Amino acid sequence: MDAVADTWFIVLRGLRARIRMPVFIAMSLFQPILWLVLFTQIFKSLGNTPGLGGSSYLQFFAPGVVVMTVMFGSAFSGFGMLMDIDMGILAKMLATPVTRASIIVGHVTAAVVVLIVQALLVFIIAAIMGVHFATGVPGVLLALVLVTLLGLGFAAFSNGLALLVRRQEILMTVTNLITMPLMFLSSMMMPGSLLPNWLDTVRHFNPVDYTIVGVRDLVQQGYVWSDLWRALAVLLAWAVAGIAFGTLAFRTRAE
Amino acid sequence: MSVIATYQLTKVFPGDVRAVDGIDFEVNAGEIFAFLGPNGAGKTTTIKMLNTLTRPTSGTATVAGFDIVKNSAEVRQHLGYVAQDVGVDEHATGRENLTLYGHFYRLDSKTIKQRVKEIFELVDLTGSEDRMVSTYSGGMRKRLDLAMGLIHEPEVIFMDEPTTGLDPQTRVHIWDYIRNLTKHVGVTTFLTTHYMEEADRLADHIAIIDRGKIIAMGTSDELKRSIGGDVVTLSPCVDKDDECQEFIRRTEAVLSGKPFVTGTKATDGELAVYVNDGGSAIPSIMQLLSSQGIEVKRISIARPSLDDVFLKYTGRTIRGQEGTPTTFAQVLRRRSKRQK
Repeated sequence: MDAVADTWFIVLRGLRARIRMPVFIAMSLFQPILWLVLFTQIFKSLGNTPGLGGSSYLQFFAPGVVVMTVMFGSAFSGFGMLMDIDMGILAKMLATPVTRASIIVGHVTAAVVVLIVQALLVFIIAAIMGVHFATGVPGVLLALVLVTLLGLGFAAFSNGLALLVRRQEILMTVTNLITMPLMFLSSMMMPGSLLPNWLDTVRHFNPVDYTIVGVRDLVQQGYVWSDLWRALAVLLAWAVAGIAFGTLAFRTRAE
Repeated sequence: MSVIATYQLTKVFPGDVRAVDGIDFEVNAGEIFAFLGPNGAGKTTTIKMLNTLTRPTSGTATVAGFDIVKNSAEVRQHLGYVAQDVGVDEHATGRENLTLYGHFYRLDSKTIKQRVKEIFELVDLTGSEDRMVSTYSGGMRKRLDLAMGLIHEPEVIFMDEPTTGLDPQTRVHIWDYIRNLTKHVGVTTFLTTHYMEEADRLADHIAIIDRGKIIAMGTSDELKRSIGGDVVTLSPCVDKDDECQEFIRRTEAVLSGKPFVTGTKATDGELAVYVNDGGSAIPSIMQLLSSQGIEVKRISIARPSLDDVFLKYTGRTIRGQEGTPTTFAQVLRRRSKRQK
């Protein structure tokens, strides 16, 4: 029971801190809107390309933006942990009876909760811009489950990494080094059938791609269960791996 | 009854760095016990072992009757920790900071509310409870930091360099708070410091630590008496150059071994001469030196300070240690703190 209570209070602290940064809220919404507007303008003429699913490029691209928002947000969430280390807050907490695991679980959960809200907002913005949802509200909820699992894994990896490297510069570099390729080695901007063969192969090792495929199915086509089950399985494994890494990093560094 | 007791407490870091090297001491209930020593002497490492943040390599200790290794959970419940970094959350109010720690110590909401009120009064922050900590001054933050270590009425509170980085005026204020806390709350206080004045003014007992070992321990008076008599400080020169060092060497050679001199210690540009009675020693010193053609530019006489105690046992001054080089990592850390 103590562990649940501790986690709850740490999540609360994380959410409060984020809500109090108007710049954070503005930036996190501005970025997906920018992506939606810019990319759909750049690739507008691709709208009629056969492999795209027969609709506009916006319709094809919007699911990718949702996934991207969650990926970047969660992959950089370790900076919160790093700030707690730098300010001496983590050490102070560890000298109290607080349940050890709830510190990292609380940090990760707060990040993911914010990202779910953000993902939902991006869906709403996309709808306003004219994106049609093949599966309606239940489909959006299932899509949120997929991105939540993706975000959980990224946030846990990022927090674990923060505990291991303990330097902003390194965390920044490593995170960019990992997230950028994951974004481009996926079917985010082009459907798999239009990608070069090697890229189409590589993306099958990328959890981000499974999320994009799953969410895009739900938006464009409907419940393609073969894709969805695979996405759920891969992302569950991804989340578990991330949490295992994060917990292990926490144990090595904090105990 | 001793609230803290250590038994050959030792911490060895990779590369065979013996940060804390087999120390033994006891802290009595309700007293202020100070660990005095220069930077890098092993003070913070000792605190981190006692408050369970790091495990001893060998030896052990009890805090509030619990073993720091075997019963770390109980130890944490009974201690408060005020770290060198002010570990308060700037993006939260004072009350939110305090309340969070109340929950961590398993207090119920009603008790927390009441304790928050009491503690804010105690550290003179009443009225600022619901302001964001980012608007607090340095002194207010430190007081909130102290308050956070006391929310659960711990048996013992650890303070790591409680006034480092504060301006002298705020420092004196914080000393008043620390004294009041021990008096009113009855909490046993273990603090580390490299300010002699801090140890001198606050502590009931002082342990002087250097290079991981306790080199002297006792009350401030006991420590000073252990040197005996007075300290006569001679400055034979104005500039601290090689010529000056030569002067000091010669002066030391003349004086050491004389019957009225109990000891000498040369430092940068000065020579400390320990004598039984300063008043009668000065004429003899002057006479001896002038007969050797050594001119003294300045002479002063004082009761021994804790710095003299440190000097006597280590051959160095604590003051001289304050200018230890700052590492690049520390600069970066401080810079990033300022930006936040």
